[in-house]
Amino acid sequence: MSSRAEHDVAAGIPALWDRLDGEVAAGRRLADLFGTATSGGLLLSAQLAGPGGISTLDALVPPGRASYPALTPRIGAAFWYEREIHDLFGIVPEGHPRLEPLILPTSAFRRPEPGTAGAPVAIEPDPGILPRHTTGPGLFTIPHGPVRSGVVESLEYLVETPGEDIPHVNMRIFYKHRGIEKRFEGMAPGDGVLLAERTEGIASVAHALAYCQAIETIAGAEVPWAAALIRVLHAELERLACHLDVIVRLADGAGLAVATARFGWHKELVLRLTGQLSGSRFGRGVVVPGGVSSAPRTDPADMLAAIGSLERQITADVRLLMGTASFLDRLRRTGPLLPERASEHGALGPIGRASGVRDDARQARPYAAYGSLGTAVTSRPEGDALARLEVRTDEIADSFHLLRQAVDELTETGAGPIRTACEPADGRAVGWAEAPQGEVLYDVRIENALIRRCRSRSASFHNLVLMHEVFAGDILTDFPFIEASFGLSVGGVAG
Amino acid sequence: MTAFGAVLAAGLILLILAAATDLLLGARWPRWRSLPYLAGAVACACVLSAGAAAAAGRSVALRSGGLLGSVWISRNPSTVPGLAADRLSGLFLVISFAAALAVSLALASWAAGRTGPGRRGLGASYALALGAVAVIMTATDAFTLMFAWESLTLAFWLLSGFDRRKPGRPAAALVTLAFGQISGAALLAGLLLLVTRSGSLTLAGMAHVPAGPLRATACVLLLAGFAVKVGLVPFQVWLPRGYAAAPGPTRAIMAGVAVNVGFYGMWRTLALLGPPPSAVIAILLLLASLTAVLGIAHAAVQASLQRVIAYSSVENTGLILAGFGVALVGSSIGNRGLTAVGLLAATLQVIAHTAAKSLLFVSSAGIEAAADTDDLDDLRGSLRLAPWSGTGLAIGSITLAGLPPTAGFVSEWFLLEALMQQFRVPGLADRLVLAITGAAVALTAGFAGVTFVRLVGLVVLGKPRTRPNTAPSDTAASDTTPADADAGPGGRTGIVLLAAGCLAVAAVTPLEIRVIAAGLSPVLPGPAVTAALRSPWVLQPVFAGFSILSPSWLWVVMPSLFAVVAVLAWLGSGRNLLRVRRVPAWKSATAGVSGRDSYTAFGFANPTRRVLAAVLHTRAEVTRLDAQGAGTDEATSPDSGYRDIAEAEPAGLDGTLAPVAHVGYSSDVVEVVEEYVYLPFRRPFLVLVRAAQRLQSGRLDAYLAYMLIALIAVLAVVTAMH
Amino acid sequence: MWALRGLRNGVLTTRWPDRPDDYAAATRGPAAVLSEAEAGAISAAGLTSLCPVAAISQDQPGSVRVDQGRCIQCGRCIAARPDVFGWAAGPQSASGSRAALVVPADETPASLTAVSGQLRERTRALRRSVHLRHVDAGSDGSEEWEIMALLNPVYDIHRLGMFFTASPRHADILLVTGSGARGMAAPLRETYEAMPHPKLVIAVGTDAVSGGIVSPSYATSGGVGSVVPVDIWLPGSPPSPFAILSALLLALGRLPAAGSAGPAAASAGHAATGDRQ
Repeated sequence: MSSRAEHDVAAGIPALWDRLDGEVAAGRRLADLFGTATSGGLLLSAQLAGPGGISTLDALVPPGRASYPALTPRIGAAFWYEREIHDLFGIVPEGHPRLEPLILPTSAFRRPEPGTAGAPVAIEPDPGILPRHTTGPGLFTIPHGPVRSGVVESLEYLVETPGEDIPHVNMRIFYKHRGIEKRFEGMAPGDGVLLAERTEGIASVAHALAYCQAIETIAGAEVPWAAALIRVLHAELERLACHLDVIVRLADGAGLAVATARFGWHKELVLRLTGQLSGSRFGRGVVVPGGVSSAPRTDPADMLAAIGSLERQITADVRLLMGTASFLDRLRRTGPLLPERASEHGALGPIGRASGVRDDARQARPYAAYGSLGTAVTSRPEGDALARLEVRTDEIADSFHLLRQAVDELTETGAGPIRTACEPADGRAVGWAEAPQGEVLYDVRIENALIRRCRSRSASFHNLVLMHEVFAGDILTDFPFIEASFGLSVGGVAG
Repeated sequence: MTAFGAVLAAGLILLILAAATDLLLGARWPRWRSLPYLAGAVACACVLSAGAAAAAGRSVALRSGGLLGSVWISRNPSTVPGLAADRLSGLFLVISFAAALAVSLALASWAAGRTGPGRRGLGASYALALGAVAVIMTATDAFTLMFAWESLTLAFWLLSGFDRRKPGRPAAALVTLAFGQISGAALLAGLLLLVTRSGSLTLAGMAHVPAGPLRATACVLLLAGFAVKVGLVPFQVWLPRGYAAAPGPTRAIMAGVAVNVGFYGMWRTLALLGPPPSAVIAILLLLASLTAVLGIAHAAVQASLQRVIAYSSVENTGLILAGFGVALVGSSIGNRGLTAVGLLAATLQVIAHTAAKSLLFVSSAGIEAAADTDDLDDLRGSLRLAPWSGTGLAIGSITLAGLPPTAGFVSEWFLLEALMQQFRVPGLADRLVLAITGAAVALTAGFAGVTFVRLVGLVVLGKPRTRPNTAPSDTAASDTTPADADAGPGGRTGIVLLAAGCLAVAAVTPLEIRVIAAGLSPVLPGPAVTAALRSPWVLQPVFAGFSILSPSWLWVVMPSLFAVVAVLAWLGSGRNLLRVRRVPAWKSATAGVSGRDSYTAFGFANPTRRVLAAVLHTRAEVTRLDAQGAGTDEATSPDSGYRDIAEAEPAGLDGTLAPVAHVGYSSDVVEVVEEYVYLPFRRPFLVLVRAAQRLQSGRLDAYLAYMLIALIAVLAVVTAMH
Repeated sequence: MWALRGLRNGVLTTRWPDRPDDYAAATRGPAAVLSEAEAGAISAAGLTSLCPVAAISQDQPGSVRVDQGRCIQCGRCIAARPDVFGWAAGPQSASGSRAALVVPADETPASLTAVSGQLRERTRALRRSVHLRHVDAGSDGSEEWEIMALLNPVYDIHRLGMFFTASPRHADILLVTGSGARGMAAPLRETYEAMPHPKLVIAVGTDAVSGGIVSPSYATSGGVGSVVPVDIWLPGSPPSPFAILSALLLALGRLPAAGSAGPAAASAGHAATGDRQ
């Protein structure tokens, strides 16, 4: 997007960790930690997010090393990131409190190693090397997944329970690992956006936005104003659809048949509107490097009418839903995420905002047209499932406001260019976007006009680890509500 | 001495012989270890036939002259002490000794087995217990009754303290003894009160004591003494400990056979003295409902198989005494139908409980022998491990849960019907109490379902765990041992007899009711009870037009429905019903977990612990167990964190992670009666005891002084009374 | 309160397939060949630039074929050559045979009818009441949304006698989405084995049919065809709910006779840039 992303190479891993400690203490948040295999060894990159932008700090692990000192004991948010690095590169973080396979349990010597040229043909995951956690006395483990009840993505929860309460939840996320990061390598930048859209299929526009912004930063391209507005339009429609999906799942869990049906209908109308404007119900193919591929296929008056009618119906149903006491009872004090934990971990998206973390990439690090349109950031202190729902309903109201603004600005701008040339030369940049689940980061490195390394970090990967922390005094029947209130996409977690 | 009196005497003599055999032979030769129990079995058969004869109306009497007669103090020199069985005694003799016969057979094969008694004395205690039961039920005078009662207490103490090396057994035996003494004291007080007024020691004579506060007090004392024996709140604290402490199938003797003396005593008290004052009846009903609820609440959450079964005895006491309470209410208002339905329900429950409890304890002894453990979480799939005992456990559980078509279903139906007759009672207070009792009984029935489903589903069925103590090389040898460890021929016979009792008794309930009617004739005229037979195979709760039940028809209809459905399914599946494709159980395609991955017995009881937290005073705690330490060396050089590949150990994940449990859960329930009724008195009681110990000064002059004071007091009292 | 609210908007449910539905008719399917004649000769580089997933092939100049099972609906070919390529319209994009997804098809209608006839025979007992079980074998999440959309009041598959079930023991049809992630191969196989006969498998989405753009990857196996035997192949990225419905009805032999045997052809009236969704 802009050159507010800094890039720095530290003198070695311990020096990098010290620098990170300082930055985190100063108030920035660890947003990403990943590795790239280079000829000079394994390059560990850490990204920090702050109000100004995203800064990247690198350090090199000298070649031939089997381990490096772990970051997790110093910054807990690195817990899953280091496990992922271990799975992809085989390097051991010394001192990691619980080093188990996360996305790729295998004892194969040849690891995927993103950044290396070439990829292994097939790596079979070997569940036999998963650690056999034993439960304590009085407890047994209910394995739930990966084929769960309902039409949901594959993920396994191991619920340790004495029969009713939930003292602990373990997760196994490796089932859906598709090797996306490795697949990016060697693709043309124009094709990479297609893959980025299909990383988290329900947040296609946000992923495409983050990716395209990285490409545009490398190419130095300036997106036309109309294209920025159209990007906002589709991003907000996508946000509406995702939040409505969360409400549908919550209402379904509570057994409110009419609410489930009505919000399902609203979500269908949103998807149909998106398809009407762009040709794809999920907004795919709209955001391309350099702008958007086509203008909306409906004229602004019809768009405003559709948005207005949606807003009236959805707002009325949300008001009724938030007045249904039996429903709210199921959510109040369910799955509480303590604000200290949320800010320490840097929880993203509605999950973080419902626990007092006031961070929204649209407002703190504006992109597309958000800087001019203005986003209201809502947050709540309670951190329970009800707070997460309230944050989402506030965002729905704000989305409608943004949609109307975007359409008005579009009518004012009139016809104009919607795409500029975008030919990225060699380089590296980071792009970000606020998906409905939270902030999405893309760190793209172009070499010889092809993608050399593309790191896509979805908000779901960052947030899902918090599932361990939210079962305080809840019982088994609260589980679907907690999972639905998180609203994460497993496709983005497993990579 | 009549003919059947001789049979009775033969039985008693056989019991003495059995005791002698055990004491003489001891446990030295395994083959002879079953001899006392086989002799006991024959003795039970004799007593059983005597009892049957008595219930049928024959005269069964055993009088002794001689030495005992000459020291007899009585107003009427022609009445001499002896044993005699009337119809009520006969009924209870039949009930108890039919079960005792089966249990004796089981004991015979258990004693010869691997886990049999290790030393002499068990057989003697067993014979003492059975003999005491027989004598109590046929006693005609207070002295014999008290003598036999104290012998029974002694036998209980010997039985529960037999395995005195095991932890907790001596304390359990002591508690059993203490409560036995309390019951004996209460009985003694009541009987002596009646003796002073009636002037003779015979029980029949006590019926002529005029009504008044003395008779009422005596009645209450007697009922209290018998209530301690059967375990009515607040006296139930000894039951679980005492029963669980006894070895093997002798628990069945204690809990299934001997407990009936308490019920017999209460029935006899009603026959002789009539109902107690209505306040006492109300208290009895409330205590019975509390007993039932408390008993089943604890049974539902216990971790040990024996304790579950023992607490279920407490629950059944509550149920039986609820029926008895209805009979007392009916008797006090003069409604013969109500008395009949109450006594009938209570007696049916006694029969069902006797059969089922004996079956449960015999089966649990077999399972304990086969599995070497008592913990429910470790006992899974007992049906595979010990098929006979497992089946016995299942049938006993179904009976006590009150499921059709077992005898437990019939008795519980009668009990609830009896309690529902409360609208026929004129007084509001009585009606209220009966209604509360009815609600409590219904609640108990529900939780009994939960309790016994846990037993049947998790202990009997379920996947058996691999035995950790069988080394691979021993499998060939140990393959035969578990099969042998399941009940031997005697045990199997016993289980079959008792299971048949649980099931068949339901099918022939009309016959059973006729027998009970004959047995209850000292209390009620026969036709009052047989009014429960609406037609040869249909039952009603004595009052016509209320409701009906036909367990015999159930026994015909249920199997035929099952057969019809099975045939239809077979036809409808295109004769493919039995061609199955076996696939692994569906577990949501998980990659697998170690440890328990399905409901444990502990977990199954968790909702009950939570729901009944008020009754059980549940306390639960999640504990963080120590995880493995993260071992990094703290070095200062900047490069220290790196390790070269050459010196790196293979990054085996098994090396870095030992499977250590990280979270534990513990939950505890509190026995409220013990906690809040007995324990607060411990302190003052011990203070009192310590003060009384000062009397035992060991000085001769002090003892002489006490004797003088006692003599003067007695002289003063006797003089004042005349 | 909610009961009254539910009556407010009347009947929202579509009557498809008994009555025509505009949205269904306008469903955008995968890319298809409008007119082969205009294709001319396309170089290999040209083919790569036309399609990022190599779905377009040319045996000889003048004939061009689109493998709809590989089409991820990116629209690049239609934007580059709107004279040759267009969107297939209508919801009937599923097929009983993988080869029939390569259009223009050269499988004769007779063989296709044979395939669907076999299918119909197997599902004779399930015709009017069928239970569906879904398994995600590495999807991106959007196919699950489209399958869940079948339960909303607009599509409402309950009116067609179809229900979702949690246990594979009760299921008749297995809907598989995702590109065949290797971690899900064993669970998918286990789910398939847990279902009783007769059973059908529908590969929902281009990812499931051929692996989509995510394959080739070390962690996927190019679609689910190598893990379970697939009966109905349904392309689309993701396929819209009407397309899924049509695939289900095809599996049960309940589609109306016309056009039930194969995927829909492109309709010439729709140009690439102006069609409505």
